[in-house]
Amino acid sequence: MAEVVTRQFVPASQAAVKDAQLRQALRRAGTGFDGTRREAIEEVSPEVWEEWREEARRIKEHTIGHLDYYLEMLERNVTAAGGTVHFAVDAQQANAIVSQIARANNVQTVTKSKSMVSEELGLNHTLEAQEIDVFETDLGEYIIQLADETPSHLVAPALHKTRGQVAQLFADQLGVPYTEDIEEMARIARVALRQKFLDADMGISGANFLVAETGSLVIITNEGNGRLCTSAPRVHVGLAGMEKVIPSLQDLAVFLRLLPRSATGQRITSYMSMVTGPRRDEDEDGPEEFHLVIVDNGRSRLLADPALRESLYCIRCGACLNVCPVYQRVGGHAYGWVYPGPIGSIVTPGLVGLGQAKDLPNASTLCGACRDACPVQINIPRMLLHLRHNIAEGPESYRDAGSDTGSLLARGFAAIMSSPRLLGVGRKIGRRLLAPMAKGGVLGQSRIPLVSRWTRSRDLPVPAPRSFSEIWRDELSGKGPTGLQD
Amino acid sequence: MGIPFNRDSGRGVDSLGIPSEQFRETVRAALGRQDGPPSEPYSALTHNLTDIEAQAQTVRERIARETPELLDRLAATAGLRGWNVHRCDGAEEALGYVTSLVQTLGASSVARSEQAVFDSMPVDAAIAGAGGLCWPAVYEGPASRTGVRQRLAESGMGITGADYAIAETGSVVVLPRRGLSRLVSVVPPVHVAIVRPSDVVGTLDDLFALRRLEYVRNGGDMGSYLNFITGPSRTADIEQTIVVGVHGPREVHMVLLNEE
Repeated sequence: MAEVVTRQFVPASQAAVKDAQLRQALRRAGTGFDGTRREAIEEVSPEVWEEWREEARRIKEHTIGHLDYYLEMLERNVTAAGGTVHFAVDAQQANAIVSQIARANNVQTVTKSKSMVSEELGLNHTLEAQEIDVFETDLGEYIIQLADETPSHLVAPALHKTRGQVAQLFADQLGVPYTEDIEEMARIARVALRQKFLDADMGISGANFLVAETGSLVIITNEGNGRLCTSAPRVHVGLAGMEKVIPSLQDLAVFLRLLPRSATGQRITSYMSMVTGPRRDEDEDGPEEFHLVIVDNGRSRLLADPALRESLYCIRCGACLNVCPVYQRVGGHAYGWVYPGPIGSIVTPGLVGLGQAKDLPNASTLCGACRDACPVQINIPRMLLHLRHNIAEGPESYRDAGSDTGSLLARGFAAIMSSPRLLGVGRKIGRRLLAPMAKGGVLGQSRIPLVSRWTRSRDLPVPAPRSFSEIWRDELSGKGPTGLQD
Repeated sequence: MGIPFNRDSGRGVDSLGIPSEQFRETVRAALGRQDGPPSEPYSALTHNLTDIEAQAQTVRERIARETPELLDRLAATAGLRGWNVHRCDGAEEALGYVTSLVQTLGASSVARSEQAVFDSMPVDAAIAGAGGLCWPAVYEGPASRTGVRQRLAESGMGITGADYAIAETGSVVVLPRRGLSRLVSVVPPVHVAIVRPSDVVGTLDDLFALRRLEYVRNGGDMGSYLNFITGPSRTADIEQTIVVGVHGPREVHMVLLNEE
């Protein structure tokens, strides 16, 4: 499995907010993708958009709720079309399956189209350890493979890189003259990969959807690399998380409308490839073998918790990343694993274990922008709160050493807030203590013992001279200030 | 329920990993569900041939009624999605357009599929007249594989027909058949798709309703692929700047015939 560094979230995000190049890259992405997404919604009308979201959600709810049934249907129909389905419980098993397929077919060279599951599995390193050459062919993935990095966004893996950084990388790794001309850089990648496409023995792709009734794998891409990877090599291996299934061919339409618009604001991508089994005898060309590897790798844990199940409805469009005030500051790498942003803060703890990723559910302001942007109406803030609850009330191992202070503070705060009398006393004491140090009614970014992690980057307001309930009482008795009755 | 399959199943490749029944048992346990189909039948999965035929018939009748409007809509949407749309009144005009493209590009080698649309459109002769060489990209036995591919990689243009064209999305849809290499529409830097009025459908739903009928009629075989092409190959992976022609064609032309 890909290396998990989720425990480093706090220091990594602190470093990220100080990275000027990253900030510039993130700002461009946030306004770019989200702006075109909003335009695309306006174009179809917000009412129609809501109908699509509801339909998509109904389909996902139904399929995930009967996932065992649809997995069986999918397997039967892939097999009937001449393909083979393999089931992997974890990353190690999935990697072993792909390695074995490669060995059985004497594979030397692999071309890959973008697959987040393969990133999750750390598949490239497994194959490379067996001296198989693996070429990522999506331009973003190609860039991060050359840089030996991981993706920082669900749909734009190299989003964190500026053109200057890519130019330097190409010059260093490919020996081409340094150029910051983006068109020229794309041409360099085209030339570098052209012959690989035609010569590769095996093509590996992800799956955006799996259609149970027809046994089909659906990928949507813009570059054409997906079509080349699934058409030219002798063997095609598709990788998919088990949640990718939809029941019928007719269910596909609404997802083809929602996914590109949510991801990049495109009305449709340049390519949609639906693959059903290997080439037939009457076909002109195509792979001789088709394999589909279905991966659990912790997903059944998310499935088993009714409060987290809807995280499996995710279609990986990345819209929640583009609107998230936290992702927009810290970028994808700070999250420490393959799936960043709001949905990643639920999926990652589910797949790697909450004890290892307990900072992630806290990396949210709970503003709800992610829920509003989600094309399948996933209630991300509700699940983040659920995970925070599990961290606070769950087994000891989920807590920080020293988090007892936090817990004590929270309990004290709860006691004060639930008693009007204590709140009144607390307010008066607080005001008396803090007022002499304040400027303009607030304590600017100070280091107050116990709560310094909160206050050192935020202003702390001094309690007001009169409480709301005092003002209210005076208002009712007719002697207080006016203005509360509009 | 289930569709009877006529095809031989599997190619004798063993399944690796854990047995599927064990995998499903884990899923079932996580869901707290008993084995069996959903209690409410899922309407989009009906296998009642009469229903599916009736649905497809409704779609076909609507398309037949609206063909002129659908052609206009297709042309408009395809243009927005990056196709160079050229509407032609007949084969002759279409051939004129294709040959002028060949001349403009200076393409000496033009690959094409072997499809019915070329029977009434002698494209080889027309391109030869313009000084180019148009050749059918078909394999003659496994030995020809490398040669055909290398020739494709050196061709300046690829020409194919279409099985469908979708007015809603501006997409051309291609299905597998003998004579149509998967690579003709994606390897050369320019792709020309010939679309006839009978290819056009209104929406994605129309397409999937029609394909689903074919699927059930064929005894449950979808064919090895169903591909949409919508505009040129493009990427925005470096600083969200759109560049066309990264791995597929940089330039795509839709030759839209107004009559068969």
